[in-house]
Amino acid sequence: MKIECQVNGEARSFEADPGMPLLWALRDLLGLPGAKYGCGISACGTCTVHLDGAPVRSCAVPVATVAGKQVTTIEGLGGDHPVQQAWIELQVPQCGYCQCGQVMQAAALLARNPSPSREQVREGMNGVLCRCGTYPRIEAAVLRAAELARRKEGQS
Amino acid sequence: MIDRRQFLAGSGGLLVAFTVPLPAACATPSRPAGPGNVTAYLGIDADGNVTLYSPTTEMGQGTHTGHAVIIADELGLPLERVRVETAEPSDPFRRNGSMSSGGSWGVRAWHEPLRKAAAQAREMLAAAAAQKLGVPAEEFSVDAGELVHEPSDRRIAFGGLVADARTLTPPAEPKLRPAATRRYVGQRVPRVDIPAKVRGEPVFASDVVRPGMVYACARLSPVFGAEVESMDPAPALAVPGVQRVIPIPGGAAVVAGDSWSAIRGAEALAIRFRSTAHDRLDSTTISKQMRSGLDADARAIEARNDGDVAAAFSAASRTFQADYEAPYLSHAPMEPWTCTLELDAEGVLHLWAPSQAQDRFRNAAAQAAGLPVERIRIHTTLLGGGFGRRLGSDGVPGAVHTAMALKTPVKFFWRREDEMAQGWYRPAQVARLRAAIDADGRVSALAVRTAGPALGASFSPSGLPEGQLDGSSVQCLRDTRYKAPAYRVDWVRVDQPVPMAPWRSVGATQNGYFLECFLDELAGQLGKDPYQLRRELLAHDARALTVIDTVAKAAGWGTPLPEGRARGMAYVESYGSLCAEVAEVSLRRGRPFVHRVVCALDCGSVVLPDGVRSQVEGGIVQGLSAALREQVRIAGGGAADTNFDSYRLLRIADSPESIETVIIESGETMGGVGEPPLPPIAPAVANALFALTGKPVRKLPLSETAST
Repeated sequence: MKIECQVNGEARSFEADPGMPLLWALRDLLGLPGAKYGCGISACGTCTVHLDGAPVRSCAVPVATVAGKQVTTIEGLGGDHPVQQAWIELQVPQCGYCQCGQVMQAAALLARNPSPSREQVREGMNGVLCRCGTYPRIEAAVLRAAELARRKEGQS
Repeated sequence: MIDRRQFLAGSGGLLVAFTVPLPAACATPSRPAGPGNVTAYLGIDADGNVTLYSPTTEMGQGTHTGHAVIIADELGLPLERVRVETAEPSDPFRRNGSMSSGGSWGVRAWHEPLRKAAAQAREMLAAAAAQKLGVPAEEFSVDAGELVHEPSDRRIAFGGLVADARTLTPPAEPKLRPAATRRYVGQRVPRVDIPAKVRGEPVFASDVVRPGMVYACARLSPVFGAEVESMDPAPALAVPGVQRVIPIPGGAAVVAGDSWSAIRGAEALAIRFRSTAHDRLDSTTISKQMRSGLDADARAIEARNDGDVAAAFSAASRTFQADYEAPYLSHAPMEPWTCTLELDAEGVLHLWAPSQAQDRFRNAAAQAAGLPVERIRIHTTLLGGGFGRRLGSDGVPGAVHTAMALKTPVKFFWRREDEMAQGWYRPAQVARLRAAIDADGRVSALAVRTAGPALGASFSPSGLPEGQLDGSSVQCLRDTRYKAPAYRVDWVRVDQPVPMAPWRSVGATQNGYFLECFLDELAGQLGKDPYQLRRELLAHDARALTVIDTVAKAAGWGTPLPEGRARGMAYVESYGSLCAEVAEVSLRRGRPFVHRVVCALDCGSVVLPDGVRSQVEGGIVQGLSAALREQVRIAGGGAADTNFDSYRLLRIADSPESIETVIIESGETMGGVGEPPLPPIAPAVANALFALTGKPVRKLPLSETAST
């Protein structure tokens, strides 16, 4: 079927099997490989993107359901989003495979709660696995990103 | 021998290595790397930018950055002008005959060779500058990518000297720059691979796209090693988008125009596998077989035997023994196996692969393709996790069969379930530890027996002959610094049909757990503080004492803790580094929770301090994940745990609240860093639980045994 939606602020129209998970549509049909395949059962979070601003596991979202909605992937985050700045400042990634999912989860978390507590960060990031064990830096970087975002807010 | 002149004439660059320089990456499909073509570590182009051909795979451990800073400091070049890629296999990049990344060798093995290669390049550039200005080469220094002649206040950029420098012979013994000139080594330097990863750029094998590429999803046997009996492709071909079904070793590849259709086709494929001798094998049976191995004195292969252990046990006023068990573990890299392949017009097969073992991959690909190795090109991408899993080339034949059948570019991939079910696990193992205690309450003998499958038999291409010792099965036991008057280590082989591979820190994970937990139980028997018992057993070794004293002090060993919390200590040496950790643990809703971990690591000397900290943190979290929850249960001859719903990796909410790292630069030979921080965490946590509950932890994972 024909799917029409907004991806990273652009109108996109493409043919896809309605049951195809959004993940594969992004990666194979739209040329956006930032979201990764990790488990296919929404258990690891490496495929996390935003759907109308909320974090979703794109491996479990049938592409038909995104028609008319706004999808944001890591490619659409801008590159200097406070989360990305903090991720570089604190040198978070190791292998990096899960980090697109981590960054997208963190960006959504901060959009909803600009000043999370440490416990809220640990709870809010709990759905995204990291095998390299970068959790201590993820936790610190989300808090740092919140600080950077508040500072930016204060300036504008 | 290549034709260095011919190559250099083509590239206009300067290349330096010990042997004849030609980076394989500069070879073209029409002139593939092959016998006689050897490679170099670094090339400098006419703009003065350096490409570093690293002998290592970057899988998150940071060796590409480590190598870049070594080169940048020796050349006097800003780091941003160094680009790093993984070389293709050839002699300058091999250790012990093959190119691979493991054993935490990345920085310690290549530190000196890379420094020397960069120093050679620097001296060749200086010689070229000397000719140009008519002054002695010794009068030049380097700064910011330029040769500087201070007496005449003149500077020449590297790029302008390359054309002349490349005609010179590399000096055999170049002078290394003094430590005081270093700008990067030993400093907090941002990793070169991180920005692209944070921006979501396509850096992984799964991100590679080739023109006209199709997608192939594998369907493989759920039983280890089972062969295909029969296959009906019709149900797969009926899935919209599926183009073809291709038989591959141990299964089939379903080819489609997108990944999703390929997955659905693979799931729809009607395929039957032949029965095997182990169709009914399960974890209980394996555990029983391993444990019976502990009693098989006649089959035990000796790994070490100091003093008279038997006499010490005969004379002992009392003895103490305990048996321990550790399960199979999956590496579970977040990127399931994937590889993009293309057979080019000249008959060269290219693999964009997540490989920790380039020679092994190339040989496997050549064999599967029926091509000579010269016609295989391995483009090593960044890895979405390795941990030893990508040392195994078991995914290569299926990918190559698919590519050779298609003759068009293809992205070949496994589903998570196959990534996890195809095995190549950290071996399961059991151990029996015994101590003889003399009349004065001192340890007079220690005896350790491990029993289990031989990692070497499964992983080594040549297997392990019967009667030979499996090094992994006695790692850190036979060469421990602990000293008892009599000490014996042996191993009983109990083969299983479960494929195995080195798993981050290899035998040190099981054996560190066995020995370190036994020491705490023994300390309890002797009425001693576990830290003090370790001090007694290490009293002869100042370096080891420093490590455990450092961790004890930093962790506040012996100081009061909040109610319901206890500390545990462990010390394990592996891969040339000494590592001690103290964990603070409590029970939350009956389950162990780790509040704080303090780590002291003596790795000799440090190139990237933040990189070391990062590896310590990662090793502790990964090791904790394994200790608390991980096990691959075997049922019906295959893995019962095949995805993250039942193979439960540690999540952030259950990770330690703080990890503190004390790096000890003892100045001893540089040790590894990727693996050594991992083994101590399981016994440190288990020992804390023992202190907290009084119940020893004799089986991992802790979630099986530790709930109260």
